[in-house]
Amino acid sequence: MTFEARIGRLLTIGTYAGAAALAVGVVAMLAAGISPLEATFPTFDLLGLPAQLLALEPRGFLWLGLVVIVATPVMRVVASLVGYIGRRERAMAVVGTGVLAVIGVGVGIGAFLGIVRG
Amino acid sequence: MGVALVMMGGGLLAGAFGSLLGLGGGVLIVPLLTLGLGLPLREAVGVSLVCVIMTSSAAASVYLERNVANLRLGMTLELFTASGALIGGMVAFVLDQHVVAGLFAALLIYTSVSMLRRGRAAPADAADVGDPADPGFTALLAGPGYGVHHLRLASGLSVFAGIISALLGVGGGIVKVPVMHLVMGVPLRAATATSNMMIGVTAAAGAIVYLFRGGIDPFVAGPTAVGVFVGATVGSRVAHRVDVHVLRWLFVLVLLYTAVQMARQALGLA
Repeated sequence: MTFEARIGRLLTIGTYAGAAALAVGVVAMLAAGISPLEATFPTFDLLGLPAQLLALEPRGFLWLGLVVIVATPVMRVVASLVGYIGRRERAMAVVGTGVLAVIGVGVGIGAFLGIVRG
Repeated sequence: MGVALVMMGGGLLAGAFGSLLGLGGGVLIVPLLTLGLGLPLREAVGVSLVCVIMTSSAAASVYLERNVANLRLGMTLELFTASGALIGGMVAFVLDQHVVAGLFAALLIYTSVSMLRRGRAAPADAADVGDPADPGFTALLAGPGYGVHHLRLASGLSVFAGIISALLGVGGGIVKVPVMHLVMGVPLRAATATSNMMIGVTAAAGAIVYLFRGGIDPFVAGPTAVGVFVGATVGSRVAHRVDVHVLRWLFVLVLLYTAVQMARQALGLA
């Protein structure tokens, strides 16, 4: 299997895992009688996610699915970076590190603004 | 339950259309959620970004396994699209919703015109000039049977594509594909595949900002994204049996109608 094919496989696994978690969340949401157009919706709480999953709350599975889906392309960059480092492709390793740094800044800004928003 | 089924059905159509026509589906999801279900534009954009990532990952996995997508070129341009998406994600929370609706209407018209003209334009003949700034690195980005050109210009335009993506909840492929094909001289098939792969990281950079800022409703994103997943999966399997020419015309009509509705919303008439 080529390097690119392995990266492609990672994307397939991430997409199916995210879709499966979302499907469980949607079924649980409908079973609980939650309307998607409720006036207020829960905000994302990374630290509270494990407790929501243990309590089998619909929003826990939905957040898990959303996090897996958003993280899948990021994991593709991480896997590519590891591959380029292993193959001693310095220029591409620098590029991959740069992409991760930009995403990291996004997480930092998002988390900071989320805290500010309260 | 009825609303959830409408969201799943709408997501299914957007996913199927997107995979058949090489789009992320955001141009349909945002109008569905805003014009169809009355969601605020910013919420619809957050949900759409998640859906766009899903279609991108599903398509990119196939393109990478078939060695059509250019991983090196994609990652290099992602540096710039992701940076643009961060800017767009922050601007989206301070920009007036009428302005965003107006920009979306303009994007829909641009997309319609691009789809009608697709295939007519030929890539710029760069005569193998390479990139004068760093020919060594540019050579590294070459794909099977083609080189890439004008990396600096393409990088600048990629920032713009990222801003559009995060601001309007679309993949930005409508900008990325012409940039790679017409500016860099990448064959259309490789440009489309590479753009599809890049969309995931671009949209993820924007989605992270929305996620932490409380801009994504899981109860809307869940059913819509599940619908998109099913639609994109089915669409990619039947793509070779569908007459895309008829589908394209139908799609353009839908986009133009949606553009008018978005313009009305921008002007406060809807």
